[in-house]
Amino acid sequence: MKYVDAFRALSRHRTDQIVVTSAGHSCQAWWEATKDSTRTFYLGASMSLSTMFASGLAVAQPNLKIWAFMGDGAFCMNPGTLMVERQMNLPNLTHILVSNRTYGGTLNAELPNVDHNDYAAIAHAMGIDRVFTFSSLEQIEAEFPPIVRANVPAYTFIVLEVEPLTDELGSPAIDLEAVELKFRFGRHIEQLTGANIFGVRL
Amino acid sequence: MPDGIPSIGRLVADELASCGVKLVTSLPDNWLMDVIRTVDTDKRFIHVPVNREEAAIGLCSGAYFGAMGSAALMGASGFMTVVYAITKINYTYEVPVFMLLTLRGVVGDLQKHHVSNGLYLLPVINAINMPYQIVEKRSDLAMISHCYRHSRTFSRPTAVIFTKEVLVGRGA
Repeated sequence: MKYVDAFRALSRHRTDQIVVTSAGHSCQAWWEATKDSTRTFYLGASMSLSTMFASGLAVAQPNLKIWAFMGDGAFCMNPGTLMVERQMNLPNLTHILVSNRTYGGTLNAELPNVDHNDYAAIAHAMGIDRVFTFSSLEQIEAEFPPIVRANVPAYTFIVLEVEPLTDELGSPAIDLEAVELKFRFGRHIEQLTGANIFGVRL
Repeated sequence: MPDGIPSIGRLVADELASCGVKLVTSLPDNWLMDVIRTVDTDKRFIHVPVNREEAAIGLCSGAYFGAMGSAALMGASGFMTVVYAITKINYTYEVPVFMLLTLRGVVGDLQKHHVSNGLYLLPVINAINMPYQIVEKRSDLAMISHCYRHSRTFSRPTAVIFTKEVLVGRGA
């Protein structure tokens, strides 16, 4: 499954979800698929913290539904993140692990133990029940919508098996300053929830 | 703790609650255990023990975008592992995060494995221009609120660093 095609397929099934992307290609691919800069927070190069960031937002705003992308390069740095995510068991959080078997942001450099890593098995071993793997566009079209719509009081972990991203991008990478991204995203959350994130300081 | 004298955990918890902290993330340091155990059982807080200190930074940063006050409890060693996370997330995006740390490796700390923290903790914090206050007496615990609010004003990280005396000694 092509990387960007997978992201386009997911985006077609997005309704009101807030999205947090990880470093490198998930950021670029989601931007390519959506051009969204208000309902998405592009968390650049955090080295595995996208889902913890998303968990903080999810626990603070339980009525928001949140998808958090993480590349498997980041996941290899910090698989223990699943322990915390399982412990929190936030029903409004879906962790989408993008498995392209490379460090995509660094010219698709090789991951450690790449032939043997079984991310779904790791998730099961952490006690996570809602684990789903998608490896084709047809499977996404058939099986992803009911997972998204399900009203299940438990955290969801999805493995997206894709090919490494090569030259599929048709537009340049998102070119917004980090602080502008912060305010675009935060103002949107304020509008959605009525929460006062930034306040008024004179 | 003698009757009538609140524990350090209770005092810190009250101070955190007074400035609107709801989410508390933690990794243990022996000196912080009374604080961690107190917030764990205090219904005013959502306490999340995490797998590594960077996770605490990620959680607190995300909670900020949900307008939930937060604090990250960690030891000096833990802080030394989060410099990349706070410079990448909290400085780059200008996202406040508030940390409670321990001043390890200084005079009075008999643990040899904290010598490096005694040598490098404060120089590292100074190198990234992170505001902090060292709290040496319980009467200075109001610094928690002051530093928390400063992180919100400054839109970057701030820290309170506790001495051994205030956390596990008399520290009056």
